[in-house]
Amino acid sequence: MGMTRQIESAGGRVLGALSRLQSIVGLILIVLLSIVLSPKATDGSIIFLHWGNLTDVLRQMSVVGVMALGMTFVILTGGIDLSVGSILALSTCVLATLLTQWQPGLDYGWHIAIAVGAAVGASTLVGLANGYLIFRLGVPPFIMTLAAMIGIRGLAKWLTRNATMDIGFGQDAAAVFARSIGDKTATILVFLSLAVIFWVVLTRTVLGRYVRAIGDNEQAARYSGLPIRRVKVWAYAMMGLLSGVAGVLYAAQTNQGDPNAGSGYELDVIAAVVIGGTSLSGGKGSITGTIVGTTIMGVLTNILGLNNIDSNVQMMTKAVIIILAVWVQKHRKAD
Amino acid sequence: MSNCGRVLCAAVVSVTLMLGGCKSSSSPTEGARKFTVIFSQCNNAEPYRAAQNDLMTRLWAQYPDVQFSILDAQQDDKKQIDQITTAIRQKPDLLIVAPNQRAPLTRVMGEAMRADIPVICLERDIVEPHYTTYIRCDNYAIGKMAGQFIVEHLKKKYGAPKGNIVQLQGLLGVEAEINRNNGAADVLKVYPDIKYVHTAVADWIQSKAKDRMIEALNANPQIDIVYAHNDPMAIGAYLAAREKSREKEMIFIGVDGLGGEQGGIKKVVDGVLAATFVYPLCVDKAVEIGNSILRNKDFKPQKEYVMTSTAVTPENAAELLKKTAN
Repeated sequence: MGMTRQIESAGGRVLGALSRLQSIVGLILIVLLSIVLSPKATDGSIIFLHWGNLTDVLRQMSVVGVMALGMTFVILTGGIDLSVGSILALSTCVLATLLTQWQPGLDYGWHIAIAVGAAVGASTLVGLANGYLIFRLGVPPFIMTLAAMIGIRGLAKWLTRNATMDIGFGQDAAAVFARSIGDKTATILVFLSLAVIFWVVLTRTVLGRYVRAIGDNEQAARYSGLPIRRVKVWAYAMMGLLSGVAGVLYAAQTNQGDPNAGSGYELDVIAAVVIGGTSLSGGKGSITGTIVGTTIMGVLTNILGLNNIDSNVQMMTKAVIIILAVWVQKHRKAD
Repeated sequence: MSNCGRVLCAAVVSVTLMLGGCKSSSSPTEGARKFTVIFSQCNNAEPYRAAQNDLMTRLWAQYPDVQFSILDAQQDDKKQIDQITTAIRQKPDLLIVAPNQRAPLTRVMGEAMRADIPVICLERDIVEPHYTTYIRCDNYAIGKMAGQFIVEHLKKKYGAPKGNIVQLQGLLGVEAEINRNNGAADVLKVYPDIKYVHTAVADWIQSKAKDRMIEALNANPQIDIVYAHNDPMAIGAYLAAREKSREKEMIFIGVDGLGGEQGGIKKVVDGVLAATFVYPLCVDKAVEIGNSILRNKDFKPQKEYVMTSTAVTPENAAELLKKTAN
């Protein structure tokens, strides 16, 4: 009798662990499928597994990946942020303007550092404003960030008079910036470092615990005396900051400041977070899950691209994957 | 349904989806496919580009040993860069690119060249010449033809070169827009009595052009010419004028001259447009040069091919329409 119970509880623990790792199981499945479905090179090797292709996938998911880290925190607090694409555009425009139209006579390193700092700073300010106004005015996050999405896009287009700003290929500070940050290794390193930092914040700090608690049950958190305003504003400020960093990466890869950049990116970011297991109602989720979700989308895009699948079929496939991922995780037991 | 059951269901659906999607496009017929040609199109959603895609698909289909696919970047620079990067991994025999914008696509097309893949740059240019050949149209010449047509028309109408022009522009900063604008402006600047009374940006889109034209109509009691930099905008302007019963007061000029029921040539036949200028799809040339590159190892294409345009007026419109129906 005792042994049966022991086996049952061991089995229950394994199933429990498996159910928490559902997103990883999904990733493994998609990777296996990609290996099977990958076209072959002339020497018979599997193109999907080429080191160059795998690092391509990492680089291509970096922009959305960086933003998804911030979105995880925002959604964990029970909120949402639709303005991330517009903040990305603003960041690329501030950066390109300072790199191409400001001649401070400084050493290139300083010029680039100030331009990047200003772009990320401006983005963080927008995030701060989002967070503060959501708290102060009591406007639902969906509405507030929807308004920001429209307003910040308008601001970016007004600042640049609807034009794009090319970051050149010569020898000036702008070109040096694009060559160094646009480099594949640099982009991947930025993404992975930020992932580690924010994983630590969520799992190993008091702030991380507060974020989860507020999303799980805000009333209870309030009664426990948690600093709700500070945590929420911080989450949106970090979202702004990470959108700004994503904008810097984007500008380096596309050699351009573009007020129309990032249109619709908020949906890719939210999809990645949701597939990774974070619940839209708040309180449940993880950075690991987000990274897995982002990777699933990245691998999917890659294998469909390697097989030259029509873009419209790609979009429909992604939609089905998103629905499946959420459906599978719907009744996962709360930890 | 239990959670395990859901996971199983989801796994089965995913596997079926991916197997179905991938296998149907990647399996060649035995021994028939020898060449892979990939076309990176910046935006399938524009009529001009949809026409390019149709013609490109039809022309390549004439060669059973060519596997041809089109990538749609949906007007997103990063998406186009990523798609071309993935395409390079497949080592296609030919890459054709219609760049979304100049600077963003420059680096990745250089990577394709460095990977020894021949690259044809189609219709829009990039900052550095990272391509095997560039097939373009002369938008400045189109602008000049439009300007000359305007002068001739006004001379016939008033006996002297004078009149009021409303100009509708596409996306600013695109080479085509700048040159269609300047080509006409340079012709017209020697005639002080020909005036631009209203210039507005309508982003190449018919509905926006209609709105801008209504504003122009309200502000100007006498308009002689509407010069729109593409046919959809010219048609939008016509619709606005017709709403105000002023369509007989002025003539409408566009650019594109696509064939078929929806194209500009038909609109000239129908009397909606007084003239349009064929903006070549550049596709025939691309397929012709592409084929030579594929099959002839010693073939050295020119660095640039310039396609000429034709003016479409009521005199030759019917005939041109018949020709494009083939």
